[in-house]
Amino acid sequence: MRIDNLYFFLDQFFTDNGCHVTKPEENELVVQLTRELDIALMNRPFYWHYMDKIGQQGMPMSLHLHTGESHNDPKKEWIHYGSPRLQQIFHYIQTHAKTTVLYEEIQTEQKTALYPWLIVNLKIDYIGKQKKEEVNSLGLHLINGTILNQMMEILQKIDFKEKVSDYSYTITPIITPSSGFHRIFRYSEQELLKKDHTWAIQSKEALEEELNLLRHFFQDQDADEDLFHNEAVRLKERFEPRININIINAGIFYISEKSINQLLS
Amino acid sequence: MLPIVKDIDFLTDFTETIDNPSQLATWEMFQQSYQIAETFKVDSFHTLVSMNFLPHMKFLPHQVQCAEKVIQDMSGRALLADEVGLGKTIEAGLILKEYLIRGVVKKVLILAPASLVNQWALELNQKFYIPAVTAGKRVNWEHSNIIIATMDLAKREPHRSAILNQVYDMVIIDEAHKLKNHKTKNYQFVQALQKKYFLLLTATPVQNKLTDIFNLISLLKPGYLGTYENFNKKHQSTDPYLKQLIQQVMIRNRREETGVQWTDRHVSTIWVDFTEEELNTYQKIDDGCRDLQVVSSITYKREFCSSREACYLSLKKWMEMKELNNHETTLHHVLKNIEQLPHHAKALKLVELIKNQNNEKFIVFTEYRATQIYLQWLLQQEGIKSVIFRGGFKKGKRDWMRQLFHDHAQAMIATEAAGEGINLQFCHNLVNYDLPWNPMRLEQRIGRIHRFGQEHDVKIFNFAIRNTMEEHVMNLLYNKINLFENVIGQLDQILSKLDMKNLESEISQIFSESKTIGETKIKLDNLTSVINSLAEEQVGESV
Repeated sequence: MRIDNLYFFLDQFFTDNGCHVTKPEENELVVQLTRELDIALMNRPFYWHYMDKIGQQGMPMSLHLHTGESHNDPKKEWIHYGSPRLQQIFHYIQTHAKTTVLYEEIQTEQKTALYPWLIVNLKIDYIGKQKKEEVNSLGLHLINGTILNQMMEILQKIDFKEKVSDYSYTITPIITPSSGFHRIFRYSEQELLKKDHTWAIQSKEALEEELNLLRHFFQDQDADEDLFHNEAVRLKERFEPRININIINAGIFYISEKSINQLLS
Repeated sequence: MLPIVKDIDFLTDFTETIDNPSQLATWEMFQQSYQIAETFKVDSFHTLVSMNFLPHMKFLPHQVQCAEKVIQDMSGRALLADEVGLGKTIEAGLILKEYLIRGVVKKVLILAPASLVNQWALELNQKFYIPAVTAGKRVNWEHSNIIIATMDLAKREPHRSAILNQVYDMVIIDEAHKLKNHKTKNYQFVQALQKKYFLLLTATPVQNKLTDIFNLISLLKPGYLGTYENFNKKHQSTDPYLKQLIQQVMIRNRREETGVQWTDRHVSTIWVDFTEEELNTYQKIDDGCRDLQVVSSITYKREFCSSREACYLSLKKWMEMKELNNHETTLHHVLKNIEQLPHHAKALKLVELIKNQNNEKFIVFTEYRATQIYLQWLLQQEGIKSVIFRGGFKKGKRDWMRQLFHDHAQAMIATEAAGEGINLQFCHNLVNYDLPWNPMRLEQRIGRIHRFGQEHDVKIFNFAIRNTMEEHVMNLLYNKINLFENVIGQLDQILSKLDMKNLESEISQIFSESKTIGETKIKLDNLTSVINSLAEEQVGESV
């Protein structure tokens, strides 16, 4: 589920957030920001502070973005994966989309039960001599405890809304969300143990080697106890293998039995 | 057992926000956030990802290879020792960027010479989008994430203690050859810094002695080359194993190997003849020193080859120190002679050279401050605008002088300390008004103008006065080993092979211990032929 087109991604983001977006030319977006996004992106707190003080509405600014290969027009902001503006937008999304509660949108006049799922998106860091990351999406059925992988890919095909659709009703979870999280963690840990951890062994070996050199270097210098200790701690920080399980975002999703069965088959 | 850290904090946030509809995400944003994570995950231990974030930068192949090697093979502790002008800052920036993106580095300290601090900030911000700031007087070390400071500021209290209390994820030190001596305060300060990843940058990892590099590497990887005492005992001269060891912590790209098109260097020697009076005075310095049994007249003779002022001031200072109040010594006559000299032949030649080159800009290097001031005065008399530049200048003044040179002045007169840390690609004429006896310093000088971004061929003019020691140094040392023609890059290796403790003092010794000019010549001749034979070997090995 990588972003394959930045232009569409940004168009969707700004439109969804209530901005007026025009497209004067290919690869270009002119975005009239909302007050909220102006505050988040334009870095002018004094302006808004002052406007609030005198009871004025204030005028949000507009952005002229360009997502092409490269360009030199100083009036347009060139947006690419490294550009600070994009990082800012991403940061906004990441901090504002940490949790959610969503309901499957169902157009039917039959009474339909929606079952609660806890969806947890994880980023797993493998840190040793080097570092790599893995992204996982897990779903836990909060009634029967089933755990599914690649949940976001599965759910892509479903429309969700913030409100329950007419004629559908929700089933109350048996497993509480917080014990749900612990089940997800336990499951991830078990999966991790099955993996090949040569990288960790190699990092351990490298660490031992470096520590031996360090001991050798400081053996004749008795005065440098602190220095030795300091270097040893930093070595461990740099080489000692470890795994971090971070949560990107998570939410309670109410989904009909039918949809899940359809998507899984 | 592998420790696994779980994001437990998230649970608290989750239970708090789940009941608050205004803080819940829409389906679209929830998906977008996941997409962002998928897009930016670093899914391999090895491949560099930072280049994807910097599409506006065109990195040279050797710069990318360097970053890869440092991160993959050297685990983030390395000595970056490319020749001058190949972009060590770019390499360091790329490495830093990669670690920032991988999320293993947050807090960074960069120590650079005063004249380079602003440039570091500019390059990191503009080229790499790294929000680095420079340290002012009221800097807050605890709350600054990526900070650039000078060594002078950092090692002074109260900054020193504050910095030593921080734990840095990465420390970068530019012009690191200044840390070659493990007994200095600077060295001990750097050693005491708490740091994970660590880069040392220098174009001249071995300035004089093999222990220089031992000390640098012991900062990066204590114990890697053993202890100081053992190292001194063991590595007398040629040790192929040592070379191998060093290559695993040091990256050194050379101009020829980079495949980059460089503009040419044209080197010419400009011979100057002393007037008869000047030559007489020059010889009298020798007599005067011998009469008083001064250890060596070399210093004063060198100074006299530079300017009357340089020699006069230092002779006078020496005499005052020794309280030589008897005004009848030969040296007093020498001083009187100097006072009466109308000009200095070399300085007049400089004026002639600059005037003949149609308003082209010149950077003139001298070893002495007295000469620097005299030259500025003389050029001014001739209607040539010039600025002076010294290592001791504050950051703002350096930038200002560079700007003045760029916009208004035709010449910049710099002393040795200015040989590093200022980039003058807009100028392509360099005058070595006094030749340094340490050829490594020469490369630093030339590197100021002959670097990435220079569009013209670079002209280097070496001044030497006939029938003086300058003639010997020029003919026997510089011309013979072709030092100006890009060979310098290898000199550090050659010197380490020779176990030459200090080339400058070696030459000094030859001058002072030789009884006749003939003896000096023979000794210098021997020295150069040894260096030459090793240089050929080196090319053969093509290290």
